[in-house]
Amino acid sequence: MIIALGNDHIVTDTKIKISEMLKAMGHKVIDVGTYDHSRTHYPIYGLRVANLVRDGKADYGVVLCGTGVGISTAADKNQGVRAALVADTTTAKYAKEHLNANVISFGGAVVGEHLCEEIVKTFLAADYLGEDDDLVKKIDAVEAKDNPDQHDNPHFYDHEMKLWDEGFYHD
Amino acid sequence: MKIALASDKAGFELKNYIKSYLENEGKGYEIVDLSEEPAADFVDSSVAVSHAVLDGKTDRGIMFDEYGTGSAMASNKIHGMVTANVTEENTAHMTTQHNGAKAIAIGAGIVGKKRAESIVDEYLGVEYAGGRHQIRLDMLEKLY
Repeated sequence: MIIALGNDHIVTDTKIKISEMLKAMGHKVIDVGTYDHSRTHYPIYGLRVANLVRDGKADYGVVLCGTGVGISTAADKNQGVRAALVADTTTAKYAKEHLNANVISFGGAVVGEHLCEEIVKTFLAADYLGEDDDLVKKIDAVEAKDNPDQHDNPHFYDHEMKLWDEGFYHD
Repeated sequence: MKIALASDKAGFELKNYIKSYLENEGKGYEIVDLSEEPAADFVDSSVAVSHAVLDGKTDRGIMFDEYGTGSAMASNKIHGMVTANVTEENTAHMTTQHNGAKAIAIGAGIVGKKRAESIVDEYLGVEYAGGRHQIRLDMLEKLY
């Protein structure tokens, strides 16, 4: 399978371990970044993974940040994407079997190395059971339209990044 | 602080337990229970909580279902919504500080009563930190 993989700077080391595991399993990995520990912003990478899944360029997505909340929320706000934030394999299996989730997410700073790996393996091994089409359609219909600019637009966050570089956002 | 609660059938018992916990411990929360009866499914209950928070009727929300992940998935589809599926105390705390989470989801089949108490205490006991985190929320706000 082709797996799109995205993360923020807090969990790059965990991302690399997941990437190595996926490649060892025979999957092709599209790693959208981030690639080091320099401070960056999780929506950028959640959106990149979502675009690949939405466009059918990846079969599934895996996204992680410190808690998984921010990056899974970003990925989920895209048409055709159903991102599941989990912390255990039981929920990972449920998300695929019943919600037909196509992006799995966990907190890379919260869930330990071995459980992260089991979550991803369990999610990929499970199949949608086909029993919940009405529920899946209902989830997709909650917000049926996207911002037209957010799809496959590499300049979507240029304005925010310019403000960041100018020091507009500070603690 | 006003807190919206809602649940489907699978989360209903835990919702009622947490409702009593938040009301009876002198915590000073005003609870708005949007599921006096269980919602038809977690989409309905999570969307109800989302609108309560986004429309300013409550300050935060807590959604209950069997696994938590479905309520977060459905509600995060809504523009401006940030829902965290939470199974432990640290994420409950961090997601308020860093994500300004407007709601949390708790899976009653995954999280027990005592941990659910701690999760809601952590979630409600801290404030959004702002600062550098605001660029990420501004980025999320552009996604519909």
